[in-house]
Amino acid sequence: MDAILEVRDLKKDFISEKVLKGVSFAIHKNEKIAIIGTSGCGKSTTLRCINLLEYPTSGEILFHGKNILEMDNINQYRASVGMVFQNFNLFNNLTVLENCVLGQMKVLKRPREQAVEEAKKQLSKVGMLNYISQPVTKLSGGQKQRVAIARTLCMSPEVILFDEPTSALDPEMTGEVLEVIKQLAKDGMTMIIVTHEMKFAEGVADKVLFMDQGVIVEQGKPEEILENPKEERTRQFLRRFIEK
Amino acid sequence: MKIDFTTVWTILQRNLSFFIAGVKWTCLFAFVGTLIGFIIGVVVGGIRAVNIEHTDRPFVRFVKKVLLLITRFYVWVFRGTPMMVQAVFIYYLFKPVFQWNSHSAGMVVISLNTGAYMAEIIRSGIQSIDGGQLEACKSIGMSFFQSLVYVIMPQAIKNAFPSIGNEFVVNIKDTSVLNVIAITELYFQTVSIAGSNFKYIETYFITACVYLFLTTVATTVLNYVEKKLDVAENSNRKMIVESH
Ligand SMILES: Nc1ncnc2c1ncn2[C@@H]1O[C@H](COP(=O)(O)OP(=O)(O)OP(=O)(O)O)[C@@H](O)[C@H]1O
Ligand SMILES: [Mg+2]
Repeated sequence: MDAILEVRDLKKDFISEKVLKGVSFAIHKNEKIAIIGTSGCGKSTTLRCINLLEYPTSGEILFHGKNILEMDNINQYRASVGMVFQNFNLFNNLTVLENCVLGQMKVLKRPREQAVEEAKKQLSKVGMLNYISQPVTKLSGGQKQRVAIARTLCMSPEVILFDEPTSALDPEMTGEVLEVIKQLAKDGMTMIIVTHEMKFAEGVADKVLFMDQGVIVEQGKPEEILENPKEERTRQFLRRFIEK
Repeated sequence: MKIDFTTVWTILQRNLSFFIAGVKWTCLFAFVGTLIGFIIGVVVGGIRAVNIEHTDRPFVRFVKKVLLLITRFYVWVFRGTPMMVQAVFIYYLFKPVFQWNSHSAGMVVISLNTGAYMAEIIRSGIQSIDGGQLEACKSIGMSFFQSLVYVIMPQAIKNAFPSIGNEFVVNIKDTSVLNVIAITELYFQTVSIAGSNFKYIETYFITACVYLFLTTVATTVLNYVEKKLDVAENSNRKMIVESH
């Protein structure tokens, strides 16, 4: 089967350093990929390149076989690749409902009634239906992240990219967000998750990528990578993790 | 050194209609100038916040560059020269073209002048909003223009409200420089009243009181609106505001 997204030899230099030094992987429909790795190894940069929040220095990113760097309508592409940020990045001037409605109306050109209906459906999926008319600034971190997930879902994306969706949360709120993501996974959503939650990665992912210093060191089934890593660097990383 | 209050009273009674006419023009110029200046500021400030993106087509890139250049030039010129000079220069420069009277010219000058300051206020208001929200807009496929209109600008305006209001207070006082092109605002009236009675101290005392009254009322109203808007900053509006 053809991949939804394929990243080929992706490189990204910032002024001061080479951050990605040739990252390649592919994700197929219904697949869930977890990316793990030390801080600063380029996990976020990888996701941000896929969404073109950063522009790759070289390499290719293929969406259904088409290079996104040569696409005419980049915004249509972005709508089909959802992104969930560490810091939620909700629209602070809007209510919970309007956060979920805006993109549908402006990007997908859905009529308002349809957008509202869809928003309600997705908000109920993440357990936020009761908060519909609240300003998002009044919500807890966990609630914010669930709204952010609903906002992404409203765009009917083919893939969702999660960048450490629980890292900014208090421990007691991590669970509620992870539950939502697990449920999405069960429903067959295709996703790439950057995470430091190893248990969660093991439970949800079909494939784990271990990154270090801008390259994918090792990839495979979660049990292979997390239990029996072949590479010394992976072992070191996991050991440090267990000690923590 | 003394102020003769009986003289003050006499001057006020004799010239009441002139003072009132002056106040009327002063308020009108300050209000309209601030309002149009605000609209100019939103447009120009919005343009000044535009980033040239890697994904932009060459034509879009060209248009953005030209707009950035024009707006930067506009702000540079109008903030870098005194309004008094602008008034005389613009009035006479365009007189053959528009056949305008000095009051129309004055309205244009104060609007353009305020617009340049407002543009910088709006621009820094936009910059004060964390980049995450703009990235979230992008990631769901919204264009920069849509992001600006529906997410960024409303927050920028709200955050910048204290400075925007300040411009109105500044304008109440700065309309006085428009007397150079014979705008019959409060200062112009004062000059002619004092010119006929030679009671400079008493006449200007009245004028100072009237200005103080106007700025105090404006400040009080703005403070009230600010509170209603629940602007994050809890800094009190200062009575003494810097002048252009
Ligand atoms: N816009 C930027 N400009 C310059 N350097 C950057 C930029 N963004 C990221 N970097 C650098 O690139 C490197 C990789 O960053 P990245 O955010 O991808 O790491 P990460 O793997 O997501 O780490 P973390 O686990 O801490 O989130 C870091 O050294 C970072 O300082
Ligand atoms: Mg990161």
